[in-house]
Amino acid sequence: MREVIKLGLILLLITSVAAIVLGLTNSVTEDVIQEVEAEASKEARLEALPQADSFKQIDEDIFSKIKEENSKVVEVYVGYSGEEVVGYAIKTATPGYGANIEVITGISVDNQLTGMKVGSHQETPGLGANATKAEFQNQYKDKSTDEEIVVVKTPPSKDNEIQALTGATISSNAVTDGVNIAREIYNSILAE
Amino acid sequence: MGIFKQFKNGLINENPVFVQLLGMCPTLAVTTTVIDGMGMGLATTAVMLGSNVVVSLLRKVIPNKIRIPAYVVVIATFVTLIGMFLHAFSLDLYRSLGLFIPLIIVNCLILGRAESFASKNKPLISFVDGLGMGLGFTWALMVLGAVREILGAGSVFGIQLFGEAFKPAIIMILPPGAFLALGVLVAIFNWIKLRRVKNV
Amino acid sequence: MDNNLIASSSPHLRSKQTISSVMLDVLIALLPATLASIWFFRFSAVKLIVLAVVTAVVTEIICQKAMKRPVTVKDLSAVVTGLLLAFNIPASAPWWIPVVGSAFAIIIVKQLFGGLGHNFMNPALGARAMLLASWPVIMTNWVSPGADAVSTATPLAILSGEAADGTLPPLSDLLLGNIGGSLGETSAILLILGGIYLLYRGVINWRIPLAYIGTVAVLTLAFGVGFNDMLYHLFAGGLMLGAFYMATDYSSSPVTSLGQIIFAVGCGLLTVVIRLKGGYPEGVSYSILLMNLAAPLIDKYTRPKVFGEVKQSA
Repeated sequence: MREVIKLGLILLLITSVAAIVLGLTNSVTEDVIQEVEAEASKEARLEALPQADSFKQIDEDIFSKIKEENSKVVEVYVGYSGEEVVGYAIKTATPGYGANIEVITGISVDNQLTGMKVGSHQETPGLGANATKAEFQNQYKDKSTDEEIVVVKTPPSKDNEIQALTGATISSNAVTDGVNIAREIYNSILAE
Repeated sequence: MGIFKQFKNGLINENPVFVQLLGMCPTLAVTTTVIDGMGMGLATTAVMLGSNVVVSLLRKVIPNKIRIPAYVVVIATFVTLIGMFLHAFSLDLYRSLGLFIPLIIVNCLILGRAESFASKNKPLISFVDGLGMGLGFTWALMVLGAVREILGAGSVFGIQLFGEAFKPAIIMILPPGAFLALGVLVAIFNWIKLRRVKNV
Repeated sequence: MDNNLIASSSPHLRSKQTISSVMLDVLIALLPATLASIWFFRFSAVKLIVLAVVTAVVTEIICQKAMKRPVTVKDLSAVVTGLLLAFNIPASAPWWIPVVGSAFAIIIVKQLFGGLGHNFMNPALGARAMLLASWPVIMTNWVSPGADAVSTATPLAILSGEAADGTLPPLSDLLLGNIGGSLGETSAILLILGGIYLLYRGVINWRIPLAYIGTVAVLTLAFGVGFNDMLYHLFAGGLMLGAFYMATDYSSSPVTSLGQIIFAVGCGLLTVVIRLKGGYPEGVSYSILLMNLAAPLIDKYTRPKVFGEVKQSA
């Protein structure tokens, strides 16, 4: 019995020291981590909505309304240039070939798509993962929010068409779904 | 065994990946590029240096009966530390290594060295052992990462090596490619070792 | 081959006579389909077939010399592997696809595991899976038969709804082979003809092909696919090629009669599931590979319990 207590105490001592060390380190790194994470997500939003110079998370009430309309929306940020609202960065998660694909869509207040950025995803390298390449993402730039974006396999002939990634129709559709959801949300709620 | 020999032991003679086949989970999973392989290797090395020294220092304090939980706590502490630092100061590497950072805890290489070496030896030699094993692990992961990155993406360190005519074999950066590349590399390593033994 | 020949682990390893005559029979059986693919796809078919076969043979020689094993290239098994691999490649593929594929099939899948009779999966199929995972765009770039290779979709891709703009070719084209697809999987009737020849010569027995094709027929109907579409599932794609020439591979399929039927039913089940429920329009090669892996297990559980208890005849 006494041995069990002794062993327990030694183990307690070791774990306590470990906990103290970790606690101290955490207090140092916590702020840095939050900062770099915030910086990284701001950069991603900035790529989608280059006009803005700062972002604010959208009002709780409006966001819950958006969530009600479409649960695939993850985050909505309002983009400001100075004090003026210039557009929105809308993050969606739509099911792709591997798992959900995170897409940030930038929409400016004059009803234009300003850009699209694919965030975390698990698509196949060399196929669906090509959705992160600039050539693919730039296709969405400067499209109007009025018309639904359609994926085609041949070079696009109409304004609202984008060309699918070769051999990755499912990924292309998932990404486009995300953009279309953002577009609808903008049209139905944010534009007003 | 001298300090230098102990170092070389981990680096080549008992290379964790090519000879002992330890720590296969990160070896196979994160070696899609040279950089990721190097990052995982160095993170593991750092953890092992810490855990080897601490376990060696505590070798007379820790009772035999609870040595495994004690080692695991020590290792887990170092892994969490490394994870926090990577997250704070190298976000890209942290993201690409992802889940495999916490999994360093269960890398049998580290627990193995703690149990079989550090718990029986003095701190300095344990440190050297950790360094040898860690760097041995690192270069093996880098070679594996290089082979897979060259064949599977046509690049090294992210720099494209070939023109448009080279069509990379995507399978090499998918999980099956890890097994194929590791198998062939282990075979080559053993072949070289056998030849050296014969010549001596 | 009769059961008394395949009942032990690998008797065909010892007798060169048997292997080469068996392989020769397979080549004869594949000849009509080979000629048909050359007829349909012209020079590109000739090029791919020659490259695949030559690479397979040369790699086998180099490999066996390097490993200091007797060179067994005369048993023709490398030729069969090369030809079957070429049959799994679309006509539009560049020259290095069959070269890389054949080298992979011989070195990795066959020789490293101990050569003929020791490979745990069909070398040609293993190589095809590697090629498909590595260069998915090239390996699914189907062209229509004829000199002016126009890009097209396979009937199965049209059935699965992946190629929305395609219309199904008539069933007669399917039987003759006048459809898009890999080199050798287009002409169902010629493949069946070759299969019947192999059955007649006793090279293969009826169990695997019949159980495999039967399972696919029954299950596609059970899954609610119409009778007409069921015929497409049978004759389009690689089912005939797989059922007669690949699933029957001696060293990677079970040896017991019951085991062979379980193996074939498993292949059929997986094929249908992949085709109808999976992301790929075609599932023959993956289903055979998966069942190849299960073959030793199947053998273990279907071995007759008492020696000499059951006498089975083909």
